[in-house]
Amino acid sequence: MSSAVRGKLPWPLRMSYDKQDTLLKLFVLSIAAVLSFSTRLFSVLRFESVIHEFDPYFNYRTTRFLTEEGFYSFHNWFDDRAWYPLGRIIGGTIYPGLMVTSATLYHVLHFFNITIDIRNVCVFLAPLFSSLTTLVTYHLTKELRDVSSGLVAAAMIAAVPGYISRSVAGSYDNEGIAIFCMLLTYLLWIKAVKTGSLFWGAMCALAYFYMVSSWGGYVFLINLIPLHVLALMATGRFSHRIYVAYSAVYSLGTLLSMQISFVGFQPVQSSEHMAALGVFGLCQIHAFIDYLRSKLSKEYFEILFRTMALFVGTAVTGVGAVLMASGKIAPWTGRFYSLLDPSYAKNNIPIIASVSEHQPTTWSSFYFDLQMLVFMFPVGLYYCFCRLTDANIFIVIYGITSIYFAGVMVRLMLVLAPVMCILSGIGVSGILSTYMKNLDISKVQKKTKKTDTNYPIKNEVASVVIMMMSLFLITYTFHCTWVTSEAYSSPSIVLSARGGDGSRIIFDDFREAYYWLRHNTPEDAKVMSWWDYGYQITAMANRTILVDNNTWNNTHISRVGQAMASSEEHAYEIMRELDVNYVLVIFGGLTGYSSDDINKFLWMVRIGGSTEKGEHIKEHDYYTPSGEFRVDREGSPTLLNCLMYKMCYYRFGSVYTEGGKPTGYDRVRNAEIGNKDFELDVLEEAYTTEHWLVRIYKVKDLENRGI
Amino acid sequence: MNRAAYELVIFGALLASCCTANQGAIGGDLVNSAVNRQIDLTSQLAKFTTTITLENAGKTATTSFVLAIDPSLRDRLSFIGATTKDDEAEKLSVTQTTVPGRTTDVLFRVDLPKALGAGQSTTVNVEEAYTHAQTPYPAQITQAEDQLVLFKGNLHFYSPYKTQSETTTVKLASNKIESHTKTKAKVEDSSIVYGPFENVEAFSQEKLQIHYENNTPFLAVTSLVRVIEVSHWGNIAVEETYDVRHSGARLKGSFSRYDYQRQLDGRSSVKSFKTILPAAARDVYYRDEIGNISTSNLNEQDDAVELELRPRFPLFGGWKTHYYIGYNLPSYEYLYNSGDEYALQMRFVDHVYDDQVIDDITVKIILPEGSKNVDLSVPFPVDRHPDELHFTYLDTFGRPVVIAHKSNLVEQHIQDFTLRYSFQKLLLLQEPLLVVFAFYILFFTVIIYVRLDFAISKDEASESRMRMQGLLDQLQAAQDKRTSLYQRYEDAIAKFKSTKDLAGFTGSRKKIDAEHKELSSTIKELQGKLKLESTDMAEKVGELQKLDSNLKDQIVLSISLAEKVVAGKMGKQQYIDNEKVYSAKREDIMGKTETLLSSL
Repeated sequence: MSSAVRGKLPWPLRMSYDKQDTLLKLFVLSIAAVLSFSTRLFSVLRFESVIHEFDPYFNYRTTRFLTEEGFYSFHNWFDDRAWYPLGRIIGGTIYPGLMVTSATLYHVLHFFNITIDIRNVCVFLAPLFSSLTTLVTYHLTKELRDVSSGLVAAAMIAAVPGYISRSVAGSYDNEGIAIFCMLLTYLLWIKAVKTGSLFWGAMCALAYFYMVSSWGGYVFLINLIPLHVLALMATGRFSHRIYVAYSAVYSLGTLLSMQISFVGFQPVQSSEHMAALGVFGLCQIHAFIDYLRSKLSKEYFEILFRTMALFVGTAVTGVGAVLMASGKIAPWTGRFYSLLDPSYAKNNIPIIASVSEHQPTTWSSFYFDLQMLVFMFPVGLYYCFCRLTDANIFIVIYGITSIYFAGVMVRLMLVLAPVMCILSGIGVSGILSTYMKNLDISKVQKKTKKTDTNYPIKNEVASVVIMMMSLFLITYTFHCTWVTSEAYSSPSIVLSARGGDGSRIIFDDFREAYYWLRHNTPEDAKVMSWWDYGYQITAMANRTILVDNNTWNNTHISRVGQAMASSEEHAYEIMRELDVNYVLVIFGGLTGYSSDDINKFLWMVRIGGSTEKGEHIKEHDYYTPSGEFRVDREGSPTLLNCLMYKMCYYRFGSVYTEGGKPTGYDRVRNAEIGNKDFELDVLEEAYTTEHWLVRIYKVKDLENRGI
Repeated sequence: MNRAAYELVIFGALLASCCTANQGAIGGDLVNSAVNRQIDLTSQLAKFTTTITLENAGKTATTSFVLAIDPSLRDRLSFIGATTKDDEAEKLSVTQTTVPGRTTDVLFRVDLPKALGAGQSTTVNVEEAYTHAQTPYPAQITQAEDQLVLFKGNLHFYSPYKTQSETTTVKLASNKIESHTKTKAKVEDSSIVYGPFENVEAFSQEKLQIHYENNTPFLAVTSLVRVIEVSHWGNIAVEETYDVRHSGARLKGSFSRYDYQRQLDGRSSVKSFKTILPAAARDVYYRDEIGNISTSNLNEQDDAVELELRPRFPLFGGWKTHYYIGYNLPSYEYLYNSGDEYALQMRFVDHVYDDQVIDDITVKIILPEGSKNVDLSVPFPVDRHPDELHFTYLDTFGRPVVIAHKSNLVEQHIQDFTLRYSFQKLLLLQEPLLVVFAFYILFFTVIIYVRLDFAISKDEASESRMRMQGLLDQLQAAQDKRTSLYQRYEDAIAKFKSTKDLAGFTGSRKKIDAEHKELSSTIKELQGKLKLESTDMAEKVGELQKLDSNLKDQIVLSISLAEKVVAGKMGKQQYIDNEKVYSAKREDIMGKTETLLSSL
């Protein structure tokens, strides 16, 4: 008999609802955090615990330096391994947040005798921080709306490809922790706005300081918060709470951010930060006016207001113009212009345009990186508008601005992904909680219950909607996992391809070449290569390079571009001038690796020709008369005799690459090369990797006189 | 050499630097009646195997004789050992010695197994190995050229005794001989025979020089650090860090991948080599500073694990590389103990590649935390460095590290060392306890934090809520128990019906009644307390009590019914009909109780 039904309940249900609620929240959150960590481990499992791409190698190298040498030598580090002969002041030209974070983590672990290698700390830092991001997202969404939206948003951000693309294990880059910092700052900002407490404002300023120390993208943040305040003013929601919050955040945050030596005086000088300063001023004025209004009668107030407005307006414009003219307010940097005007970079700065992640985003990549969030985002916006609060206005502004920026630059998809998750979380949770209520689950009363005449098939509609949402969520997880596994988990330092029999072939040529350089060239050898490989060479080969991924000196890069684009004799002069010992090129013609130096060559020509010294290098010389870029017999003679061409194709003319094709058949360009039989006069082949991906040449010394 | 040969290898004492010199006389009455030297130059090593027939021409018996090392090869000596002809497994003791008057010579004293009487003779096999004895000449070659090497030695057996007759056979790596010393030489394909020479004086020297082609890999491990980490949890982790260099003729000019891939040249380069690991090796890895080296093959065989290592790039003359390999071994194969005394027996150096040359090795043995009385014994002299401490996971006062260093090793040095130490078994528990304790502290802190109220201000509402929650929990427990009593009533009735044991039934009924009463009063008490927090709740509990008394009434009815039927006062059918009604009623009340409870 059913005497002790309640006694038979599983233990979680025997607890009080509060406890069940806490347990469920904890459970969902920890699952989300674990998921966000583990879904980023594809590349570690598939390949190994290795640093990816290019920039992470620099970060890794600097982190290693920091852990070995300590913070002061790191801060004062002048790196003579890069930008030969100029060198680079690393301590003053980087955002140290990332390195300091991992070094701290490393030292804390080692204090407890947990002897983890610094490389592993670096590799797993991004996944760790994305776990933390899920927690922060939960809290932020909870502040914005409610707990259930928070849980959905946390689960979504755990797997969103737009964020994963920059935070897989091994992708040790600023963005990995910056997203965490950004969301933390937002969370604390919302808290400050809601409470109007100085405590939360100060916490927010601290989080902002961490954000500034870790990523240049903080500029977005320091413009978004003022924008929020401005919007609140415009909608008449300005209050003492916002006054306290913003004044605290701005003044403390700016002071703190100026402690980062790379940022320096920019927060008070450059125009990117002026909006924040302006809004700060506006806040004071607004508060002052509010004060006056409460004290004066209406007529007097009107007169005073008009005079003041006129006076202050003139003064601000005048001072601004003077500062701009005297150069105190830094001219707007190229990267910032390209945000506002997508075509700016392409027309003016080839070096910015040459980077693929600075290209405008295509529509398909929105879907690829966000999937259902693209559709749920407006739903979330709708729910926000339904119940507009100070906090909601913030997320609406954040969503709309970031969707614009993400459209301008692929790389800013990263900033969009979290807000997409938050708003979709609100949307999905809104829909589910609306329809779940309509769902009739009590079977006993089903027959007796009379149907609502206003809403005839309430239960059925609810079931369909809920089923649809579940289906969407399920496909979302599948899509995310698929994208992560296929697109974002290749370390790019190790390439892999499928062999004819389905087995995996690994091309480890990059490391082969770098390791050869490391052990078989003189310690002080200078290596010239295109700037893409600069960071990797310094980190893995430990050799001095001319240019690297920190593209701070356009003329120097241009000089290297000129050497690559010139004929051998001319290039020799440049190489002697730059004191080059080895030249490294990437060549994919044998394996079909398409992002090699020949395909990047036009950028070298453009960048090489963009400065005064390289005026003789003209892009059209490298095209056929009909305007094509061809490496075969038809190709322009300038191209067929330039240094880059010769280095890539040296002795390639005798190699059979594909059955049924003549020798010297380039598998990337699908053409038989035009200049096959030539010798190098000023260079000699020093090393070529197994699959010819990397070719290293030694620059010959000057010949002895009189021989 | 194959592995089986190692077992035959005899061993003794070694290099001048690490040997205590003992003084003695040469013993001039001995004569080498016949000497047969085999110089094996087929690899990068120079391996000498000399068969000496010793004759005691003096009047007194002798128990030892002296071996002298050729001055031209003195610094290259890596290994020397001797056996008697009759018993090759028995190694003779070889110790370095000095003799007055011959201070510049490197001399070794070999103890004979039994005294050699006057006029008697015995035959001894002496084995020597020299590293870097063949020098590339020319020192630089292009990729297409073959590697030529020059070997310089002594045409005669360098001995403190007179030699009556000697022959020397030199085996070369190829039959391409550029030039060689012509004195009494006979070339046979890839070997040259010198001699026989008669009545050679003691300590006589004559130049022997051979210039020939040798394309065998001239690979040298310039430094090797072997770290052995012993865990008493059943694992021994070994990690070896190598600096490898091609010590042959340096590559001149460019390296052409095209020519190399057509395999037309680069014959003296090293593409890959085989390292043999112990058969029990697991989780083998092969890496360097920039990550995993994907070009290796692991071949597991019955008696060994064969690791085919391919460096990231082929090694040409003068090129070098750096890598490390590591693996785990089960400790039961290498670690022995009796009580708290332990002995670790492992190879001092392991096989790296055939005909290996190791210029420098440092062996570090990391013992478990708390090991004491460490005693290392190695069959050949090594430098002991001062012990260090190593800190890793869960360590508190550090693990002792035993460090030993030795230079110039060849494969004859693949021998076991023995490391004895004592370790208290109880210390094994230290690390797990540490973890347990850490978790304990963690949970305890959480409990303290959650259970205790650290707020400065008092929140009446939430406190009342918490108190109520506590009362409700107690109520719940009591009610659950009370509900279960009804099951027991039913069981008792059923039993009574089958056994018809009235006395027993009354007994058990009384017992249940008492319990019921007690629980009811507990609930009543709780109700009183609840009233202080919320009258609403208390009312609900009152309802609960009412429902329960209804239920009780029902069960009493059911009991009297059962008594009737047992006493035969009622028909079976009638009983069943009535009972059905009652039980339906009971069911109904229980359902109501259930809904009431969940609303609490």
